[in-house]
Amino acid sequence: MKKLSLFVLALSGLFAFKANALDATKAEDFVKEVTKEGIEQIINADVSMAEKDARFEKLFDTYLDLDYIGKFVLGRYWKTATEKQQKEFIAVYRDFNVKTWSKRFDEFKGKNFDFDGTSPSNSEGQIFVNTSVKMNEGAPVKVIWRVKDGAKLKIVDIIIENVSLAVTARNEYTAYIKQAPNGLDDLIKDLKQKANQ
Amino acid sequence: MKKVLALCCALMLVACATNPNGTKMKASDEESKLEVYNRAMFNFNYQLDKHVIKPVAKGYKFITTQSMRNRVTNFFDNLEEPASAINNLLQGEFKNSGQSVARFAVNSTLGLLGLFDVASGWGMAKKSNSFDATMAKYCVPDGPFFVMPVLGPSTPRYLVGWGADAFADPLYWALYDKKGESWVPVTAYGAPGLKFLNKRAENMVLLDSLEEGSVDFYATIKAAFLQNRQKFQSICAQSATEGGASQSYDFDFEDEED
Repeated sequence: MKKLSLFVLALSGLFAFKANALDATKAEDFVKEVTKEGIEQIINADVSMAEKDARFEKLFDTYLDLDYIGKFVLGRYWKTATEKQQKEFIAVYRDFNVKTWSKRFDEFKGKNFDFDGTSPSNSEGQIFVNTSVKMNEGAPVKVIWRVKDGAKLKIVDIIIENVSLAVTARNEYTAYIKQAPNGLDDLIKDLKQKANQ
Repeated sequence: MKKVLALCCALMLVACATNPNGTKMKASDEESKLEVYNRAMFNFNYQLDKHVIKPVAKGYKFITTQSMRNRVTNFFDNLEEPASAINNLLQGEFKNSGQSVARFAVNSTLGLLGLFDVASGWGMAKKSNSFDATMAKYCVPDGPFFVMPVLGPSTPRYLVGWGADAFADPLYWALYDKKGESWVPVTAYGAPGLKFLNKRAENMVLLDSLEEGSVDFYATIKAAFLQNRQKFQSICAQSATEGGASQSYDFDFEDEED
């Protein structure tokens, strides 16, 4: 009886491990789906700007883990922030990103993503999906997607030519908060202002 | 001359008073003197760009076509092939070195003095390299981030590399020892000026997007610049420990910085 229960325990452990490991193919297919939707439904789509913005918002909310990213970009200032500040920051950070990225649609018109496998990440439950975008002149631009496992797969970072958007944002925001008279509140105010411009 | 001096002083005063976002700068206790200098110099460059360089670059963009600007880019990229060849050699990349030489030969002749990148079409891809990378390979440390007047973000190793590669520029040797000739000053100042202007025009869209998406432009530029240099760190690591360094952008999301 003891042996059987031990065996069952071992088996379940095996399955649990398998369930946690992020499948490379699954991650790559996920990014393929996201980029395809982005290109077909938004960038190259023949619809109004307002419709494009609405579709992009939906794409953004569905495929990015903004709670995770927002927490990361505040760095050490997340822990010292009140719950109200944390909520407010995530909300305004989302609005700000939707606004700034939607202005860049035309840059990507007619471009395609070429997929080049995946790379492992030292972070648990995460993996890098490698892509590149051919440009009109010069070498193709390397774009790497950091995918995180969970209830659903989500994107947590985009790395363009070795520059991580999450790390850049974190460096920027922590530097800003350090030298701002009212710290995080100033940052929230500034982001809100830029998002509503 | 006096007017120029006055303008420079005015720009510096403006730069010192506020940062591009309009908020007052406050040097916290931890902020080193270098950071204070960096922010001030960055603001100076920003104002100079905003009031002088960018308008000229916009004008240049207006009177040229993308095709023309591609020719200019190709011309100057071609002049950098000798530097790539030498540095590839210094790093033991013999095949790449040979390819850089071949590219220079083909593009300078068939490519009409480098205006056209014929070599790429023949399967000879660009194998860019620099003295900066060579020093990185031999694990020369990068040094602290600092902002150069006009030239912008740099590090000591970056600057040394830039200077060293300038000696491999064929244009430098073409002008060497020809001080008396009339075309020399035009080429000596005109060529780097055109190169700089063309680059400014070509990176305008990207820099504008970056600025729009940032609340602290100095911090954004610094972060992007330094992250881009992390690829050099992995070159050194790779030669030290056989078996491939981990990706430079693979940071643990749980990591706290500073």
